[in-house]
Amino acid sequence: MLRKEYKKYFDVLEISPDASLSQIKSAYLRLKRLYSAESVVISPIADEFPYKRRQKILKQIEGAYTALISLSYHGQHKSSYRGESLTSKGGSEDKKEKSTPFSGPVLRQIRKERGIGLYEVALDTKIRVELIENIELERFEVLPQEVYLKGHISVYANYLLLDPKKAADDYIKKYREWKSKIEEE
Amino acid sequence: MEKTGVRKNKEGEIWAIGGGKGGTGKTFITSSMGTYLARKGKRIVLIDIDIGGANLHSFLGISRPKKSLSFFFEKGVPLSKLALKTGIGNMYLISGDIHSLASDSIKFTQKLKLFRHILKLNKQYVLIDLGGGSHNNTIDTFLIADKMIAVLEPEIIAIENMYHFIKNSLFRKLKMSLRSYGFKEIVEHMWESREKYKINNLNELIECLKNSFSYIGDILDEELSKFKIYLILNKVRSSQDIIIGSSIKSIFMKYLGLETQFVGYLEYDDAIWRSIRERRPFMVNYGTSRSAKEIETFTENILQGSEIKHSRN
Repeated sequence: MLRKEYKKYFDVLEISPDASLSQIKSAYLRLKRLYSAESVVISPIADEFPYKRRQKILKQIEGAYTALISLSYHGQHKSSYRGESLTSKGGSEDKKEKSTPFSGPVLRQIRKERGIGLYEVALDTKIRVELIENIELERFEVLPQEVYLKGHISVYANYLLLDPKKAADDYIKKYREWKSKIEEE
Repeated sequence: MEKTGVRKNKEGEIWAIGGGKGGTGKTFITSSMGTYLARKGKRIVLIDIDIGGANLHSFLGISRPKKSLSFFFEKGVPLSKLALKTGIGNMYLISGDIHSLASDSIKFTQKLKLFRHILKLNKQYVLIDLGGGSHNNTIDTFLIADKMIAVLEPEIIAIENMYHFIKNSLFRKLKMSLRSYGFKEIVEHMWESREKYKINNLNELIECLKNSFSYIGDILDEELSKFKIYLILNKVRSSQDIIIGSSIKSIFMKYLGLETQFVGYLEYDDAIWRSIRERRPFMVNYGTSRSAKEIETFTENILQGSEIKHSRN
């Protein structure tokens, strides 16, 4: 499973593999600050733990963050991390993808690219398999109420290391369009 | 010194509360954790071996005990006979005193005898209040505990003293365990010839030892993985202060390879100061206060081996 492969990076950032994107970011910033500046916790051991040694740690922190972040954006900021990204497809598509909204098929594609099975998602997120599939295939008519749906989408997106808020917003927008169309008819 | 050898009743646990600097609130925290556990129905004995000032009794509102550990050392009175009622059901106190535990007055064999008897006490939880300082007696007592708890204040002197305390404890632990594997003087030898080996600190010493013989590396890895500190942050005044707990956890891991459980914090609270002045047990008289809740939280975390929930991270 994806998150397990990346366990060492989560370990370096001292967060659990179910950390959200924002937790990854704040852990990175906290550790970067901790090891780059003098402070009450560094000064007392600064002689035996000098900046030169801390630089090695900073490098690991930087590396772990880069790896996790490049993984977490679907095509968005990847130009600088292309080598690492699992979803990179070449320069010309980057710009287009940046504005591509999340949808059922996009989530499905990302999941497959990352080699994660439906049952694996279900086991780790506690979302039912049928529901995940219905979300991916956009079977709007059988999906739960919007508030619940929104929650499921963000949990699922977070699991795929995507921006949960953007994913939920994009998906719900599409869901609403479908709903208003139905109501018109 | 091996915890596992002597201790038969695995139901109970020994918690040692130390941390290096005096005045960080170790005694208050020991008495409060004990009270909380006793009121939960656990059988508790508190042992006060704070060399500079054995005053745990004051935190429980009882007068200075007439019987103390010196009876054990000098007259061979069993520990169970020295355990006094504390006014809180299920909880007893064994008091130390300045004379019996003054730096060099107890011999190594006496110390081992004390540890053996502590391990045999028929109590579920033995909480040992260590007091400040990094003396060998303090460190050895810290090391026999099932749970080694460090109390810290978020200020530079306390942090510095705690580093010192933890590094000394680790150094002594490694020395003892290598000795028990038959590598009698290797740690001392390497440390004494540190110039030759280009060793400047504990971290480099550990690296150097690991590289010397592969099986020493295995022993050290095993010992390091067992050496776990439970960290409590006291007298916290801001969320910045709380981050210090996470920072120290990070440094211990990344610098020394030590696992730390940051179990919780206690915000600065005048009610604690008032309660101490009134000589009344805090958890009884201020049981519903925010501070009491914070104490409950980290005590539970220590019990269950879990950590503080990060809401602000």
